Amino acid sequence: MELSPENPRPAEPEIETSHVEEFVEQLSCVTSTLPSRINIDAQSVEQGLAKLVLTLIEFIRRLLEKQAVRRMEGGDLSPEQIEELGLALMRLEAKLQELKTQFGLADEDLNLDLGPIGRLI
Amino acid sequence: MKVYIYCLTEGTDALPNSLRGIAGAAVRWIDTGCFSSVVSDFAGEAVLVNRENALAHAAVVQSVFKQTTPLPFRFGTLVTEPKLNSYLTARRETLQRKLEQVRGCVEMSVKIVWNRNWTDESLHKDVQEKPGTAFLHEKRRQLMGSEARAAEARRIAVWLEDKTGEMVREKRIDTNPTEKLLLAAAYLVERGAVEQYRVRLKEAREEKPELHFLVSGPWPPYSFANIDLEFKSQFGVS
Amino acid sequence: MSSPFDQIIVNEGGEQIDELELSLLETLDHVLNRGLVIAGEITISVADIDLIFLGLNVLLSSVETANEVLRHRETKL
Repeated sequence: MELSPENPRPAEPEIETSHVEEFVEQLSCVTSTLPSRINIDAQSVEQGLAKLVLTLIEFIRRLLEKQAVRRMEGGDLSPEQIEELGLALMRLEAKLQELKTQFGLADEDLNLDLGPIGRLI
Repeated sequence: MKVYIYCLTEGTDALPNSLRGIAGAAVRWIDTGCFSSVVSDFAGEAVLVNRENALAHAAVVQSVFKQTTPLPFRFGTLVTEPKLNSYLTARRETLQRKLEQVRGCVEMSVKIVWNRNWTDESLHKDVQEKPGTAFLHEKRRQLMGSEARAAEARRIAVWLEDKTGEMVREKRIDTNPTEKLLLAAAYLVERGAVEQYRVRLKEAREEKPELHFLVSGPWPPYSFANIDLEFKSQFGVS
Repeated sequence: MSSPFDQIIVNEGGEQIDELELSLLETLDHVLNRGLVIAGEITISVADIDLIFLGLNVLLSSVETANEVLRHRETKL
């Protein structure tokens, strides 16, 4: 239709790099939420819900961490406050790790792919 | 009964008779007003995400792409025909604009890896630090590293655009999609300009040997097709 | 049916396999992560992913709101 001598038919996509292994590794991450199995039973549904909830908590936890670092940089926290904040965040991180393990989830599992709008974390 | 949709075009074109899609189903057209959708019948409730189906999807879109530039659908789109028709009617103007934007173009992809250490190890570490404080200091170190990396990714995106910008009609840039992937970019390039784009890109690559490039294309315009959910993809936590 | 994307420069056996893998991954990146979306219609056949897409709109608004609140607070500080 719109093809002409000036507007040639496209060739098949070529893929070219000098660093094949590196990109295989990185692209595996990008497609890591690819489900590889069908598993429509109760355990999977539970795990799916857990994923959703834990991801939200993880997201908020990271926001809190960033806020804490910001406040620390801003200089309006006393050394005692910094210590207290740090300890609380440490415990939060550990708790979340525990929950992840309980549900058999890895870090990558919590990186929700929200389709066209990208990843959550 | 649902149909699996591969892509959308402005008009009906001939498809190879032997063209098969997901689960080997025959590929056909559905005409809705000014649009033609490339579909195949699908009997299940959901589509298995595997190599075979993904490649089948890609092959169908590629086949159409040889004749005209379609708007590719994302893998796994299953709808009833009425739902498809109402979607096309409701979003007609936006879809027409999109088709116009991609007309006569292809998508060229660039991904860049830079294996660099972004955190400054030299930041003073006080051995006497209490645990909570040490924790926050470490987080700050990591954050600064990731901010440095993000800034560099943006700089490189700008540099790349400088090099190839003339041939590019539209771009989609993703900075730091993973820790090592500095950039994942998609460029909409007119078919006639692809060779020139490639030449410029080659020159750019030679300029920066520390950057590891993966270039691919020409693709149908997957990255430029979507009209919905076009939110900022960075959950801006900076 | 051989895929049109299996264009490879053959070196040693190991490299060939990796390049096939890369070709597939690049294709997957385009086909799975991009393209037109009819919101709420994508069902991918594993229970955990199902839930995410069904709940997409709800999830979006709660995350966006959280973001707005934080941004608002930051400008105030």
